[in-house]
Amino acid sequence: MAKNKKGVEIAQIIPDRCIGCQICLGECPVGAIQITSAGVALIDPEACIGCGKCFQVCPVGAVRFERKRHFPINKEKREPEKREAVEFRGVAIFIEVVDGLGAQVSWELVEKGKELAQKLNVKVMAFILGYQIQKIAEEAIALGCAEVHMVDHPLLKKYISQPYGKALAFLCTEVKPEILLIGATPLGRDLSAVVATYLNTGLTADCTDLDIDEERGLLLMTRPTFGGNIMATIYCQQHRPQMSTVRPRVMKAGEKDFNRHGQVYYHDLTVADTPVCEIIDFIREVPQVGGVDITIAPALVVAGKGACDPSSLPMLQELADLVGGQVACSRPVVEAGLMPYERQVGQTGKTVAPKLYIGIGVSGAVQHLVGIQGSEKIVAINSDRHAPIFQIADVGIVGNYLQVVPLLISGLKKKLHTAGR
Amino acid sequence: MHLVCCLKQVPDTAEVKIDPQTNTLLRSGVESITNPYDLVALEQAVRLKEQYGGKVTAISMGPPQAENVLREALSLGADEGILLSDRLFAGADTLATSYTLAKAIEKLNQESPVDLILCGKQAIDGDTGQTGPGIATRLGFTLFTYVIEIPWIDINKKQIQVKRKVEGGVEIIRGPLPALLTAELELAKPRRASLPLLIFSLRAEVKVWKAEKINADQQKIGLKGSPTWVKKIFPPPLRKGGPKFDTQENLEVAVEQFLDNLLADKKFADSLLGRWET
Amino acid sequence: MIENFDVVIVGAGPAGISAAYILAEKGIKTIVLERGAYPGAKNISGGVLYGHDLGQIIPGFAEKNCPIERNIIESRIWYLGENGGLSLSYRDKVFSGDRKFNAFTVGRAKFDRWFADQAKQKGVLVVCGTVVIDLLRDNRNWVIGVNTDRPEGEIKAKVVLLADGINSPLAAKTGFRPEPKPHQVALAVKEVIELPAEIIQERFNVEPGQGVTIEILGEITQGMNGVAAIYTNQHSLSVNIGANLFDLSKRKIRPYELIEKFKNHPMVSPLIQGGKPSEYTAHWLAEGGYETIPHLCGDGFLIAGDSGMLFNALHREGLNLAMTSGRLAAEAIAEALAKGDFSRNGLKTYISKLKNSYIMHDLKKYRKFPHFLNLHKEMFTTLPEWTNLAAREMLTVNGIPKKKKQAMIWREFRQRISLLNCLRLLKDAWRSVHGE
Repeated sequence: MAKNKKGVEIAQIIPDRCIGCQICLGECPVGAIQITSAGVALIDPEACIGCGKCFQVCPVGAVRFERKRHFPINKEKREPEKREAVEFRGVAIFIEVVDGLGAQVSWELVEKGKELAQKLNVKVMAFILGYQIQKIAEEAIALGCAEVHMVDHPLLKKYISQPYGKALAFLCTEVKPEILLIGATPLGRDLSAVVATYLNTGLTADCTDLDIDEERGLLLMTRPTFGGNIMATIYCQQHRPQMSTVRPRVMKAGEKDFNRHGQVYYHDLTVADTPVCEIIDFIREVPQVGGVDITIAPALVVAGKGACDPSSLPMLQELADLVGGQVACSRPVVEAGLMPYERQVGQTGKTVAPKLYIGIGVSGAVQHLVGIQGSEKIVAINSDRHAPIFQIADVGIVGNYLQVVPLLISGLKKKLHTAGR
Repeated sequence: MHLVCCLKQVPDTAEVKIDPQTNTLLRSGVESITNPYDLVALEQAVRLKEQYGGKVTAISMGPPQAENVLREALSLGADEGILLSDRLFAGADTLATSYTLAKAIEKLNQESPVDLILCGKQAIDGDTGQTGPGIATRLGFTLFTYVIEIPWIDINKKQIQVKRKVEGGVEIIRGPLPALLTAELELAKPRRASLPLLIFSLRAEVKVWKAEKINADQQKIGLKGSPTWVKKIFPPPLRKGGPKFDTQENLEVAVEQFLDNLLADKKFADSLLGRWET
Repeated sequence: MIENFDVVIVGAGPAGISAAYILAEKGIKTIVLERGAYPGAKNISGGVLYGHDLGQIIPGFAEKNCPIERNIIESRIWYLGENGGLSLSYRDKVFSGDRKFNAFTVGRAKFDRWFADQAKQKGVLVVCGTVVIDLLRDNRNWVIGVNTDRPEGEIKAKVVLLADGINSPLAAKTGFRPEPKPHQVALAVKEVIELPAEIIQERFNVEPGQGVTIEILGEITQGMNGVAAIYTNQHSLSVNIGANLFDLSKRKIRPYELIEKFKNHPMVSPLIQGGKPSEYTAHWLAEGGYETIPHLCGDGFLIAGDSGMLFNALHREGLNLAMTSGRLAAEAIAEALAKGDFSRNGLKTYISKLKNSYIMHDLKKYRKFPHFLNLHKEMFTTLPEWTNLAAREMLTVNGIPKKKKQAMIWREFRQRISLLNCLRLLKDAWRSVHGE
């Protein structure tokens, strides 16, 4: 092991593995670690005292250090507040209300919540806020919730951050669930951040997987980081509830069974008399010509940066029609003003999982790929043979799309004709 | 008006690549940029300053090199730039970050009351969108997320009306100042810095504030203040790439081969040709 | 309108920064305007820098963290046929000793940024992401500043130094330097191929930190007037090939094809074997030489570097000429500022300084060289073919008496090249490197 001038056996960063998360920086008791301009950690050998804390906390094994048995290193970083942890029980799901019904994403989370609750041997509960929402309680029970906790109040008729945030936080302090799941819709993302701050607890957004560490009874939340380059599994050790948001269509909803039973509890809303916001109007989105929901299309023709040409749109639409799908796009196309945001696929757009994904001029930036991983078949047309999308495409063509797509269209028409369609 | 804008330095994630063999990030040549949504927020802040008078303070929490973000803000019209940089802030998740930024804004508020805080709707590296709402909740500011337009501000009555994007449409909502809003891309198109301001920003002093300066509770900042921890890291489940046909030799042949390969699986082919009715 | 500067420099490349550095040392208020996002963003070179010229601007640069890739201790010249080639190389201990850093490889993105940082530390303002779109003139038509593409983007200055490279749109627009004609430039493409340092050291037989350059001529430019090169960097090889733009367009050969064939040549492929291509770029090279140099000095302005076509095509020297011309321009500007005369007259010491330096001596010496290459395409076709054949036959031991072999080789020579043509070639070659 390396030693510094004082003969102390020091820790060293392995730059290629370092992801710049800075956890080691905070842990170092003598401030011997800094982040270089390249974004990786660097240990000052002369300042290092060889305690090995950085080695312990590094999540990616980017610290080279061989511990000698000189100091017993304390594994417990903080005093566990045991009382708090034991008092919180149950898996709660926030049910978002859309047009008087429970949102589909909320039911997807209820199904997942049941799985988690089973592993923990606790109840699944629905938390519902709104006005005149009794029907939704019935839905929640039909989908398997053992308990439903409601705050039914005129002030909660429409979503406004503060009253909803306070009400949901209030429910959590009353009911004390150990886990709270919220659908990552615009409303859900807004609400979850407010609630997590009120409750001073950890929130992990856009999780793609949820599981239980059965040994410690902790929720394990997996999400993409660094634009999707790396998946991270995160946990919230002490703070409660452990909060997580999940995007629509990542989990699967269960079947409704109206023979199921459950308890419904009504809670009173206690809100201080602070001036609240006033919703003046709601302008429903005028659906585009042939109102399109790209998330339910069985096939998608996706235009990327390399196909950012307005004159080629009719051709792409023709291809989409032929394969029974819709036209969508990646972020650069929206930023160029060629298609509306509603058609954007990717991490900051919509997650899609069509049966057939055809990427045209899509390079395959990781943030885009994260939004299409669930597609059954991914095919790509790109003039750059080194484009990353070819690394995951089931089949691809290297060529100019303006030449390839017309041939593809005529080829498909022939096949359709032969198949008698 | 005293407007505060929160900005974050992020790696240009469009350029970050991963080495598939070693699962490590390939960093060489990856530039850091200012989170694009924050630039939109800044542009809106500067326009409001130009309209109503007042000043724009830009703040950012980050390592020393995040100073560039504040210089960029100064070149685009911010009046002052403050960098929150301290070893103690390192390792912060969104809860600790919103705490730190809220404490800094509290301090700014003491010297000159803050009317409006503008943030980007999310950062392109974390994409959580939690920091803005967290700051608003801590400071008791009215929160408006996903704002696409600000129809008016009445400074005397301390009211603001915004248009925000919600599921299925646009909501027009009115509420009291002080407020915090998070910006959607459509809110304002960032301007190109003028040459005089660009030169000014290259010479300007960016203040650096440490934990002590903002009276931060050390238990609530950095790693200590972060309830969530990373248990493990692993590469995303990667699909394996299939064959690719090159049109360079022969265009028709390549397309033919491509189609054959696509329709090789009979079940899939039937499904596709039947337009998914089966 | 903003504050006035003494000097505005267009371009933060080696010429511009060299000038800025010297001017700042003399306490002259200087601003550099660069169109790229950072200095070096738009710059490419094969990669060899000569330390002497840099040393005259920043003495002791090696101790100041100059990002040096490899110190060149051996230079090779290859003359390639289709299946192989002749090689001449020279290695000397002195290049790791007394003459260390005589030549070394650099990566432009790193180097230019380091170089600009040195100037910034001296007080130079370097403004990036800003394009100079026009020169400002007064009613005497003297240059008094520049206009940029930013809002409120005009800057007035006493002297403007144009150092914006070979593609200078400004030079073309203002008419100071007419747009180069196709036969006056070469188009070169470069690929950076990543290889572990140990493998590079093994293949080129060098120690860590040491490197080799290979300059290549022959059939690999497919009969066109051009050269290729391989340079060693720390963790990669720079592989470049270029040809005269006129030839390229006449033959309709795509640069990408040119470099692919080059990489597959039996002398080249073993060196790059197993490497990962990481960068692919293209650039123009000023090949016109002395004849194409425009007026470098005018009322209120000077031109330095590639923008002034100061490039030695034969020896592939560009960076050093850019640096030295920038340095000399700075000296001339300082003298003009002291006299208070920024007219062409006041600035013309620049021209005499250039004339007295190796820059004009070398360029003048080789003024006929571009013409020679265009005239004698055999250099790229029949001559390499024949030299390779001669070597091949002489080295093959197959029972044929040597006299017979020699006769065959001589016959081939007369057929392919002809004695008369060869003599003419030698005469022209001699003339071309001894131009007065």
